[in-house]
Amino acid sequence: MATHFVTDLISMADGQHVIVNVEGRSIGLYRINGEYYALHNRCPHEGAQLCKGKVCGTTLPSDVYAYQFGRQGEIVRCPWHGWEFDIKTGKSLVDEKVRVRSYKVTVEDGKVGIVI
Amino acid sequence: MSLEIEKPAKQLIKPKLKKSIIDCDIHHNVRDIKDIFPYLPKNYREQIELWGTQLPDFPFMNGGLRGRMNNSYPPSGGNAGSDLQFMREQHLDPYNVEYGILTGEFPWQYASQQVDYAAALCSAYNDWTVEYWLEKDSRLRGSILIPIQDPNLAVKEIHRLGNHPGMVQVLAYGGARMPYGQRFYHPIYEACAQYGLPFTIHVGMEGVGINSAPTGVGYPSYYIEYRALRPQVYMAHLASFIFEGVFEFFPTFKVVLLEAGVFWVPPYLWRLDQDWKGLRHQTPWVKKPPSEYFKSNVYIGSQPIEETPNIDAFTSMLEWTHAKDSLLFCSDYPHWDYDSPLLSFPKLEGDLWEHIFYENARKLYKLPSRSAKQGGVVS
Repeated sequence: MATHFVTDLISMADGQHVIVNVEGRSIGLYRINGEYYALHNRCPHEGAQLCKGKVCGTTLPSDVYAYQFGRQGEIVRCPWHGWEFDIKTGKSLVDEKVRVRSYKVTVEDGKVGIVI
Repeated sequence: MSLEIEKPAKQLIKPKLKKSIIDCDIHHNVRDIKDIFPYLPKNYREQIELWGTQLPDFPFMNGGLRGRMNNSYPPSGGNAGSDLQFMREQHLDPYNVEYGILTGEFPWQYASQQVDYAAALCSAYNDWTVEYWLEKDSRLRGSILIPIQDPNLAVKEIHRLGNHPGMVQVLAYGGARMPYGQRFYHPIYEACAQYGLPFTIHVGMEGVGINSAPTGVGYPSYYIEYRALRPQVYMAHLASFIFEGVFEFFPTFKVVLLEAGVFWVPPYLWRLDQDWKGLRHQTPWVKKPPSEYFKSNVYIGSQPIEETPNIDAFTSMLEWTHAKDSLLFCSDYPHWDYDSPLLSFPKLEGDLWEHIFYENARKLYKLPSRSAKQGGVVS
């Protein structure tokens, strides 16, 4: 396990994300409410670059014909087939068993590192 | 000079099946429309006598002899399926039918713009079914016909007969003005759920009268096309039930799909599940994969079961249709495309036969277990 520092704390605002290359792996680094999350930039479905997908909220499970919007900024929607993933866990919203690989993120001395 | 016809000695019919079955699609019929006159208001009786039934009719031929097996017309005369004794001799007894669900032969008023007339015809037909069939043979169960054009009147008819012990479902036809999941119809499903009655869709009346065209591209020229395209209509209804949230509103409500075939189901469920993964957020009240709603709320009649190129394909398709819990044996007696209780299915492994030919229908229609003399288990 090694920590790869990829950015400075001050260079990413809340709600932003960047795609970085670490040891040949494309990884999406997301900042949500001051916390950092890193997802492998590959959708487990058909291999699309997931982290190029829109960061969004979604309609939560609701009563019939009612729309209840929530989780703004916590969801990434894959560009190819629209599968939604929880950025914080990497889990698919429709099937918890389907997940995108996530990486541990550490912050040291004002730098953000991805642990691989 | 008189001609004497020798009558055959009455023989006790030996069942061809050791274990009894529940047949979920048997068509009883009137000998003549006048059979329902005693239950019909006078104005409509006079109207029919003067004008005929004035109901829109199916614009296609059918198979067999006017849609029926040519040997199913009773020797006493009249329509196929109109003579209970002959039905017993030809179907109920030899095939050891422990319970038979009657679906009738009276779909035309489902396509009529005359709502009150349709309601009166449904009520009359229902009362005739109770008196001339359900009260004459304890094996038979009936379907409540409803004026589906007007959910208020339909609900009234369900309330009128919902507690009748012989009436086990509410009947609709594939032909409709709009997909069945839409909220226009929800009062009907609420009433069905209240009485624990399944809502059963039988093929028919697609493209007839006030109903929408039988396919998405309009009217095919020939009966064989219409027949093969029935799943198109059923697919539209099934998706509508799921995505309009009907099974979320009424979790105990069951839908039965009769006579559009069976093996269109697996690839369609795969498609729905697959697309739901990416489109869930557009209908967020659909909280589980569409196939899960199929498994919990939908039953499918077996006839006309597809004849696959080999048994492996048949077994596999049965599995993906969730047949063990969802499939109901249907013969469609006395129609020409009748499925034989003996030979329409290959030998089935394990308790699959038991489920398809008895247990699933027993559960759905809340019928008793098979009696011991009919091969039931003595506990």
